[in-house]
Amino acid sequence: MLVHLQGPWTPLFGRLTLAQIPYHNGIVLGAFIFAAGAGLVIMAALTYYRKWGYLIREWITSLDHKKIGVMYIIVGLVMLFRGFIDGVMIRTQQAMADGPHSAGHLQALHGYLPPFHFDQIYSSHGTIMIIFAVTVVLTGFQNIIVPLQIGARDMAFPYLNAVSLWLTAAGAALVMISLFVGDFSHAGWVGIIPLTELPYSPGVGVDYWDWALQLSSLGTTLGALNLITTIVMMRAPGMTWFRMPFFTWASLSTQTIGLTAFPVLGVALALLSADRYLGTHFYTGGMGGNLMLYTDLFWIWGHPEVYFIILPAWGIMSEVIPVFSEKALFGYTVMVAATLSIAGLSWAVWLHHFFTMGAGPGVNLFFSVSTMLVGIPTGVKVFNWSLTLYRGRLRFETPMLWAIGGLILLLVGGLTGMMLAIPAINYTVHNSVFVIAHFHMMFLVSVYGIFAGMMFWFPKVFGFRLDENSGRKFFIFFSLGTATTFSAMFTLGFMGMTRRLDYLYDPHWQPLLDIEEFGIFLYCVAVFYFFKMIYVSLRDRAKESHGQDVWSTSRTLEWMTLTPVPYYNFAVIPEVHGRDEWASRRESGFEDSGPEEYEDIHLPKNSIAPAVIGALAFGFGFGMTWRIWWMAGLSLLGIIGVVILRSFADQSGIVLSAEAVRRMEQKPEGTGIITDHISPPVAELEALS
Amino acid sequence: MSAHEADPLDHPEVRHASPLAYVSGYLLSVIFMAIALLLTLRHTMHYLNFIIAVSILAGLALLAQALLMFRLDLSKSQQWKTFSLILVLPLFVLSIGLTGWMFHTLYPRTMMHFMQVQGADM
Amino acid sequence: MSRTETLTPAHRLWARHHPEPDPIAMKTLGFWLYMLSDALIFAGLFAAYAVLDHKFNAAGGPQIKNVVHPLEAFVQTVVVFTSVLAYSLAMVGLKARNRMFVLAGLLSAFVLGGVFLGLEINDFATLVAHGITPERSGLMSIFFVLIATHGLHMAFGMLWMAVMMAQVALKGFTTEVVTRLLNLRLFWVFQASIWVCMFVFVYLNGAF
Repeated sequence: MLVHLQGPWTPLFGRLTLAQIPYHNGIVLGAFIFAAGAGLVIMAALTYYRKWGYLIREWITSLDHKKIGVMYIIVGLVMLFRGFIDGVMIRTQQAMADGPHSAGHLQALHGYLPPFHFDQIYSSHGTIMIIFAVTVVLTGFQNIIVPLQIGARDMAFPYLNAVSLWLTAAGAALVMISLFVGDFSHAGWVGIIPLTELPYSPGVGVDYWDWALQLSSLGTTLGALNLITTIVMMRAPGMTWFRMPFFTWASLSTQTIGLTAFPVLGVALALLSADRYLGTHFYTGGMGGNLMLYTDLFWIWGHPEVYFIILPAWGIMSEVIPVFSEKALFGYTVMVAATLSIAGLSWAVWLHHFFTMGAGPGVNLFFSVSTMLVGIPTGVKVFNWSLTLYRGRLRFETPMLWAIGGLILLLVGGLTGMMLAIPAINYTVHNSVFVIAHFHMMFLVSVYGIFAGMMFWFPKVFGFRLDENSGRKFFIFFSLGTATTFSAMFTLGFMGMTRRLDYLYDPHWQPLLDIEEFGIFLYCVAVFYFFKMIYVSLRDRAKESHGQDVWSTSRTLEWMTLTPVPYYNFAVIPEVHGRDEWASRRESGFEDSGPEEYEDIHLPKNSIAPAVIGALAFGFGFGMTWRIWWMAGLSLLGIIGVVILRSFADQSGIVLSAEAVRRMEQKPEGTGIITDHISPPVAELEALS
Repeated sequence: MSAHEADPLDHPEVRHASPLAYVSGYLLSVIFMAIALLLTLRHTMHYLNFIIAVSILAGLALLAQALLMFRLDLSKSQQWKTFSLILVLPLFVLSIGLTGWMFHTLYPRTMMHFMQVQGADM
Repeated sequence: MSRTETLTPAHRLWARHHPEPDPIAMKTLGFWLYMLSDALIFAGLFAAYAVLDHKFNAAGGPQIKNVVHPLEAFVQTVVVFTSVLAYSLAMVGLKARNRMFVLAGLLSAFVLGGVFLGLEINDFATLVAHGITPERSGLMSIFFVLIATHGLHMAFGMLWMAVMMAQVALKGFTTEVVTRLLNLRLFWVFQASIWVCMFVFVYLNGAF
């Protein structure tokens, strides 16, 4: 091998040995029992209710953008939960480990987490929350809603869409399995250099993190070109660019970032992999390497990435606020211009993440100015949302609560961001928890957007509303938790507390740390109400089912389909005459006008290939992480083989006859995304039989 | 569906193939690169002028390829390709240019005097 | 409320028999967008090259001018351009509905691509035989990886060409086959464009 590996290596198992399974670690053991238990319960239920066939035919092989979007959201919510647990663990450790007299439990000198374990937890917290929770859920929303909003039947490339999902799932699986087999990275979600180099991270943690990011990054890039092509080429007749719903514009801007920025992350990580696997010297301290090169390349991706996360959330807020104010979005054209310019400007600000790293004052000045410039269109959006609310007929149902909450958090996060844009301020608070509080405010804007979208669009996709009562309590406790935790954190930042500390030396911080811990407790109460909301909604779903337009004041095309949305979306593609087409039709009295005649609809067949590619991608990532070369090699060849084989296969789809469409449209209870077994047949299974 | 039954060979992207354009694009690319090679081998220019000259030659070769090989223009079948390429080009300038500037200011502040770029003064 | 359109029965609400968007145009646009993302991979690599192309990064070892031969690189340049020309002429054959011409063009492009890769691998082998490896220094790392990334793309393109030759022979000019040929054309010309940047900014600039 070209590099010196610590520990054993065998050709059959690579670096994998039984000693890599941390069964001596009580916390990990507990997590394993919980996860294994949950997994067993789910598998037992699937077997008992004989749903394996259903699962494979209707979901795993599905190319339908709505099902793919729902699967994205499920993966994202599971990861959000794990990321939340990581957050609870971080907060608890810091609350317990303040001052030289703080007690130590389990294997820790202070608190309950020894440093190496703590480091893995904040690394996985960041990685999971950013890459695998928020991004994934927002991608799911874009998947479900954008084709509906533009009057299309699916994305431009349904098969590629499924491949993107399964690649992302493979990345998430790598992160999850790192909990039980080996370690995760201890070098932060950014991969602090040179800590990520082999001599300082001789284990597999960094490799897990690296391949998980590479796989999901590829999925994201493929998804970006898919969405962009869909929006450019598949809009309904009459839907000119400036008649598109705002969420679609936000998605387009987001995906231009997805297409262009993620490849640079691929390069940053690939060069790190070269250092770790081939012994090159891209980022080493000696032999002609350059540490700051990693930081530069990483943040060239990293800054556009945060806009990738927040633009769709702003898009969701821009849909929710008009609906619950019964007014059109104020200043639509300016909002579009602002969104596109944010996406463009986001490419010119990345050095503000490392002002202190030594570039000249002229360089710092340039990036400071560009960072402040990007705050201008953001401010424009805040004004436009406020002016939409002004003199509107406001209803404060839960989607609106989340949207307005997001708006308020944006003020706090955005203004603290503008403070950080000034190098003089940045030098004093760099690496303190002030920065953490700032970016959590920003990420929480995204999270608020996510919950707004969830409450808003859930009835459209599933046919019943989420329980308002527990939903409201979920919002209230979540917001109280946010306010409590992060006001304390901003204060601690000003008092000089730095980030990523498993042990805190200043006992004066204890009261504030305790306030943060109380804030986390409030979040836990919020999570309780979230689960209660799901339970109550499912239990009462028959009562809460609604017809087409749940909110009665919605404005855009997705509300024109049946509820829940049938898998072909629109029986006949609608003709669009203006912005907010659905609102126009409703106000002109045409809300009940369906198409008089139906027509045949062509749809692609389901396919097992994307899931197979995902599984092989997981095999590749796992093999590369543990240096099991035969596994990595065969997986890679397998992926290439599947792609080539599929290209020789018959690509014809199926035809849904006009008569079948008519029957589905006229069913009083609509078709159910979960309950109706209506998916097209699986192409590969058909070919075999 | 009408799109499925149409003969793919009638599609504008097939029909815009042109032997004249392809051969001209080929010849122009070779010529521009040959000139750049000559400038390198002769080694008579100052480095700064050299790098500007070969950058222009590279740009011309790329332009020839864009227009004559990729056949990019503003026609309905090509307009989105042209537009997206134009939007992406500034990202090259930003990522490579700003990186270069960043490290150029970094080195005098953090590295020793032997950080000289080949042939250039620092 | 405000600013909605007022619709009348004269407005058509449903676009019956609305044609599906042109599948070939969609697929070539999608593939073009993927190529742009690929271009950004090279942007990242060139940025790394800009950072690592200094005397210091050679760690006392070979500089770029010690490892590049501009004249031989020019030969490679002509080879890759000719390969692109061969493929493009195959597309002229496609327009003329001539299957043999297309296959001949694809095969020539494939062979020339192989010549290019052969020259490059031979070049690398010579360097390695002299002890000049990617592990020697940061400068050598970026040199090898940058060139090898382009080479990997070429190899991938050649694999694709082999698959296309099989598909053209077996299936003829179906919509899927034509679409893939058009996409491969975009891919192959793109490799030549990236090579222009490499030739000028690594080989010529390095040798100056």
